[in-house]
Amino acid sequence: MIMRTTPGTEQLPASFRDPSGFLFSRNGVLYRQINQIYAQDYARLMESGLYGNLIKAGLLISHAEVEQAPAERSAFRVIQPERVPFVSYPYEWSFSQLKDAARATLSIQKRALKCGMTLKDANAYNIQFARGLPVLIDTLSFAIYEAGKPWDAYRQFCQHFLAPLALMSYRDVRLNQLLRVYIDGVPLDLASDLLPARTKFNFGLLTHIHIHAGAQKRYADKAVNMPTARMSQQAMTGLIESLENTVKKLEWKPAGTEWGDYYAKTNYSDDAFQHKKDLVRAWTGDKKPRLVWDLGGNTGVLSREAAACGAQVISFDIDPAAVEQNYRLVRKNKEENILPLVLDLTNPSPALGWDHQERDSFSARGPADMILALAVIHHLAISNNVPLPQLAGFFAARSKWLAIEFVPKSDSQVQRLLASRKDIFPDYTKEGFEKAFSTYFHVIKSESLRDSERILYFMEAR
Amino acid sequence: MHFTLHPYLDPGSGSLLVQILIAVLLGLGVALRASWGTIKGFFGKKKSTGEDDHADDTRD
Repeated sequence: MIMRTTPGTEQLPASFRDPSGFLFSRNGVLYRQINQIYAQDYARLMESGLYGNLIKAGLLISHAEVEQAPAERSAFRVIQPERVPFVSYPYEWSFSQLKDAARATLSIQKRALKCGMTLKDANAYNIQFARGLPVLIDTLSFAIYEAGKPWDAYRQFCQHFLAPLALMSYRDVRLNQLLRVYIDGVPLDLASDLLPARTKFNFGLLTHIHIHAGAQKRYADKAVNMPTARMSQQAMTGLIESLENTVKKLEWKPAGTEWGDYYAKTNYSDDAFQHKKDLVRAWTGDKKPRLVWDLGGNTGVLSREAAACGAQVISFDIDPAAVEQNYRLVRKNKEENILPLVLDLTNPSPALGWDHQERDSFSARGPADMILALAVIHHLAISNNVPLPQLAGFFAARSKWLAIEFVPKSDSQVQRLLASRKDIFPDYTKEGFEKAFSTYFHVIKSESLRDSERILYFMEAR
Repeated sequence: MHFTLHPYLDPGSGSLLVQILIAVLLGLGVALRASWGTIKGFFGKKKSTGEDDHADDTRD
């Protein structure tokens, strides 16, 4: 999984594309080696005021220059970047998260140009969410701007940000899943084919996607005479502003009754829900976990109860509309310790990229200190047929503490799931549940929810 | 002139050309806006906000 350089030092396997430097870990601490080749650019970043400007705006991850032995010979300097609480990927973001990441990237490029630098890449994977907002985590993404030079990262920006955003906005919000297939962003010819014809009347999409795709096809494998490929800084500014306007105008609003109506559809009373909130708050307050995964977190109501103890809560849900609403709340209330993400628990994010080592799987990004699995088990055990012992093993491998809600067969939500299929789940009972989970966990507490047939368990892995 | 870049990313031939075409066109707009600001400035009006730092673009 990790490449060795000098003893005790491990280069991160995903950090190989850019010769400017790489990430390595030593004794559990993450460092970035800056290579000699990048010395001038680094000096410009730090001395031009760009670094300070971006840190102040919250757009770049901060770092400290440290006296650590480099991981290998080509070193110029070693820095220690601030760590983000949880690494997430664009195929796990809601529409507004990807849009904010795109706007952050363009804002960074504009600031860079003012300081005589330019972004040499526009990679969506270089953006992470920290304290609720998108931040660039690659300190080596900047290069000294050379007058007349076009933007090397233009193609990447269109593939990583503009194409998926346009597809989500104009076609279907689930199309960001294409990013799971194409590691360097959505191919523009594919985006151009999938987008409705009316997007050709949108100047930004016409030029940056449709015409761009055509030019790529026409000039594929043809060399461009670089000395003649020039554009002024004014032209560059025009290009960036055009991308900004195009992105800004892309919108997505979930249609139908789902939107904003999640908890109105539940079958239990306000009293039962309040009881659930109280228990989550009490149990997280008791153990003070640092990292909580709320699996099936919906719009994040219970994630916020868990976050009250100071934990960083990753609020996963399969529904992009719920995650979108959750993220809008985070932004509106400036919440720093909730990260909403889209995740299908029955088919979680896999390890991707070269040698399966560039993007970590969902599980490799664990374990969490505590998992909340509230009103979710019937979806896994009944809709997805996962046997209860396997479910218990799944949770135990990923967390020390587990707050889990057992929803019995008599519950109307389970009845709904069984309405159109044969009941092949004889073990799905309170006793069967307790037996399966007792192999992996011991129960710290359990409480029947007031005014409901459901039971909440608080468990610790054996 | 030749550019001394760190070409770890392939900008793509078609992408470079289309970018230059679009950018030159849009750059004209930027230039016009800048000179319009100067003209307005000359007549004592407030300068165009075209050069403003979009500081809060992603922070609304």
